[in-house]
Amino acid sequence: MRWIWIDRILSLDRGERCVAIKNIAAGEDVLFDHFPAHGDRPAQPVLPNTLIIEGMAQTAGILVGHANDFAEKVILAKIGRATFTADARPGYTLRHTATLDRLDASGAATTGVTELLDPATGEATPLATIELMFSHIDHNRAGLAFPEHNFVFTSQFMDLLRDAGVK
Amino acid sequence: MAMTQDEVFGKVQEVLEDALGVDDDEVTPDAKLVGDLGAESIDFLDIVFRLEKAFDIKIEQSELFPENVLNDPKYVNDGEVTDTGMEELRKRLPHADLSEFEQSRKVEDFSNVFTVDAIVKFVQTKLG
Amino acid sequence: MRFELIDRILERQPDRLTAVKNVTTAEEYLGDHFPGFPVLPGVMMLETLVQAARLLAEGEADSPRDVAWVVRDVRNVRYGQMVRPGQTLAVEVTLRSRDDAGCEFQGKGTVEGQVAVQGRFRLAPLAPAPG
Repeated sequence: MRWIWIDRILSLDRGERCVAIKNIAAGEDVLFDHFPAHGDRPAQPVLPNTLIIEGMAQTAGILVGHANDFAEKVILAKIGRATFTADARPGYTLRHTATLDRLDASGAATTGVTELLDPATGEATPLATIELMFSHIDHNRAGLAFPEHNFVFTSQFMDLLRDAGVK
Repeated sequence: MAMTQDEVFGKVQEVLEDALGVDDDEVTPDAKLVGDLGAESIDFLDIVFRLEKAFDIKIEQSELFPENVLNDPKYVNDGEVTDTGMEELRKRLPHADLSEFEQSRKVEDFSNVFTVDAIVKFVQTKLG
Repeated sequence: MRFELIDRILERQPDRLTAVKNVTTAEEYLGDHFPGFPVLPGVMMLETLVQAARLLAEGEADSPRDVAWVVRDVRNVRYGQMVRPGQTLAVEVTLRSRDDAGCEFQGKGTVEGQVAVQGRFRLAPLAPAPG
């Protein structure tokens, strides 16, 4: 299992909004365990909602990091609230829209909406609302030894940004 | 149109319920943000952001939570706040009741100063 | 790689469960989180709490796995200490209430005595796939 929960960035408006998508494919490892068949009940593959929160966190984290030109190490500090009203099954696409509410030297707050898209019809169904807070760890973690370079924004994320044509 | 103390308290209560995930009967004037309501350091940032939005005011993190005093060797000696430190804290936090903290002076006890009432008083001074 | 985060259950009562999750470099996703500085992702700490809570939601039922319990609501989950390979996340979940809408839990995870994660969440049965 890799640790990248978005496939493509659709748009990024500096300091305001980032939209990204993730396809859900039947072959993903995690779906074999979530959930397998049991007794009379058939397998029910659904993407775990915690990993959907991570997809939103990656979308919002890129928005927050980009707003400071990736000078800060942005890490998830709090899930204020996450509410789910639908389930993410293979053959569908998740679309995360993250909005930046507040940003300062210590960190940031974002609100997000995740929709389930049907690639066959283009129909969008609301799936979750997710409120997150991020910390800039150089400011907030005195005493914890971590590397100097910005290890948070890996080449996986930077490649997505490059592919999206984001400066 | 100025807000009454009750109106300010009501809005502060809402902010703390949302930020800390507690019920309104837990948010009493004497309740300590850390000791009673379980606030962590990220929650302090959340509270500042929400207060700004709720009251349409601008707050510097250090205006409400003076971490820079508590980390400054000028004001703290061996984990205890010095006399100059106490003076600085009184200046920075006119809205806070420091009388209990005066007895201990230990940095680790400082979070007890942040009661719901201290937040209400702070907002009132900002609203002018 | 399996999506199984509970390594061992330590104590179990109808409304409270404690368990551990070891963090090891053998877990491939750590290679991406982060390269050169592997730490257990925050949502994986939450998922550990969820998987522990699922055991309580399934309860003493005769055929517990008939119902797949999923996360419906998460509130005020705060992250503290980081958990690195070679360390163990100790989790404790408490069932606060159970009703038609699902089960409400309080959870906490610690590493070497320090809080790594804490918060509340609700699990509910997964609705069958439409059509």
